Parts: sequence; C-alpha cells; structure tokens
Amino acid sequence: MNMSDMLGEIKELNLTYLMFAQHMIREDKSAAVYRLGISQQLADILTDLTAGQVLKMAGANVLLCRMRFDDRLILGLLTSHGKEGAMPQSHAAILLAGQPVEELA
Amino acid sequence: MRNKSVVHEGNEIRLAIDLIHLGARLQVLETETGLSRERLLKLYKEVKGESPSKGMLPFSADWFLSWQPNVHSSLFVDIYHYLIAHTELRGVHAMIKSYRLYLEHVHANSLEPILTLTRAWTLVRFLGSLLQTVPCTRCGGNFITHRQDLNRNYVCGLCRPPSRAGKSKKRMPEATHTAAPAA
Repeated sequence: MNMSDMLGEIKELNLTYLMFAQHMIREDKSAAVYRLGISQQLADILTDLTAGQVLKMAGANVLLCRMRFDDRLILGLLTSHGKEGAMPQSHAAILLAGQPVEELA
Repeated sequence: MRNKSVVHEGNEIRLAIDLIHLGARLQVLETETGLSRERLLKLYKEVKGESPSKGMLPFSADWFLSWQPNVHSSLFVDIYHYLIAHTELRGVHAMIKSYRLYLEHVHANSLEPILTLTRAWTLVRFLGSLLQTVPCTRCGGNFITHRQDLNRNYVCGLCRPPSRAGKSKKRMPEATHTAAPAA
C-alpha cells in the first residue's frame, strides 16, 4: 500500500467514525456515551463540530479512534471461541462497562 | 393532585407505555408513575391486548446470585452504574435505558434475555440494601453479591465457573433455529 492510499484510508475511517459518532450522539446521547465509551462533555463537543471542522480533523495522518480493549483480559475474551457459548462476550461487556471513559484532560 | 398538568400526565403515560412494552408488571407501573390503577389497567390491556399477570412480584434476592442470572444481572447493573456516572439519566429512565442496552447485548450475542424488566427493576431497588456490587479480585469486573456476605477475596462466577455452568439447555435455541428452516 502506498503512502497516499494509506492516508486516504485513514481519512475515510476518521470521517466515518466522527460522522457516525455525531449521528449516534444526536439520536440518543446517553446510549452513545455508553457505546462510544466517552464522557458526556466529549460527546457534547463532538456534536458541536461543524462539517468543516470534522473534515479538517479527519485529514490527520493518524487514526482518531482508539482501541478500547487495551486490557489483555478483555481482548482475550472478545476473541475467544470459548466452550461456554457467548459468556465470554458478557464477561467482556461487564469489564468494558467498568472501564473509565475517554474524557478531556 | 387535581391540577396536574396535561404535559406531565402525557409523559407519565408515555413512560408507562415504554415500561409495558418492555414487559413490566403492574406493580412496577404503579410505583413508577402517578397514574391510577384503573388507568394503568386500561392502558395495559390496550397496549398488550391482554390483562396483566396477577400475583406477587418475584422478590427473591437469591435469584440474582445463581450463576447465569448473576452474569446477566451484573451486566445490567454495570451498564446502569455507567449511565448514572456518565450521563444525566436518573431513576427509572436510567433503569429503562440500561435494560434496553442489556437487551441489545443479549440479542447481539444470541443469548436468552433471562433478566426480565421487572427483575431488573427489583434489582435496582435491592441495591444498597440487600445487594451490592463487588469487584472480582481476578478480572476486576463488578459483580452482584449479597451485602451481608464477606467479599474480601471475591472471585466472580466467570473467572471460576461452577462445574455445571453452561451445560443446561443453552444449546437448545440454536438447535431449533437451525432445524426450523429445514422443516
């Protein structure tokens, strides 16, 4: 993959993420705060971004969304094809609900 | 009481309808809305097309402690606590939203929704008096336990599942699903 392809892909993913996040927050803020794992303050800032600002942010050379399972246990649970049906998914959901949210410093 | 606003009453009716759709029993509606029993009965029949089930609510706190119910109830309570901590939702509205998010999880993973809305509502009422959440010393997740229990070195049912865990009829719904189209 050449450099400009990669930057194009990153921009597209950032744009999709930001626009989808805005859409979710406008539709149902509390559910979005849970699904995105962000603070309400951050959610408010995201919805207030104009199309121009979103476009500008998306054009960075880094991804704007971050891995939420920076925990070996959660990662293991989400990828396991365990013997106990879908219980690993529930275990992961319980752990994710207990994690701190992404918020503004 | 007489001069209640129409908007307020409209909101109460909408709340009652939401709760009925999610499967609430009449006692839940009576506690959470200011509507009279007669109106609630009428509303219930209109929404569900049948009379509400009679009898007492499930009141056992022990139900939340057996293995599978504990996992489901703990997830629900963790979502509830998350919403209380990070959003402006409170009371019955936080309860309804957490229950919806719990149902989503259940459907997304093709599990059975074994925690009913009435049970979820009971659970929220038990928190702080009979039940509490305690972090598992192995995974760090928060799980429901009895308040009176000694939970110093608590290990959750998922980190240390009982030997019979998950060996019930859990495979059944999948089996019937796959069998149905063939028939």
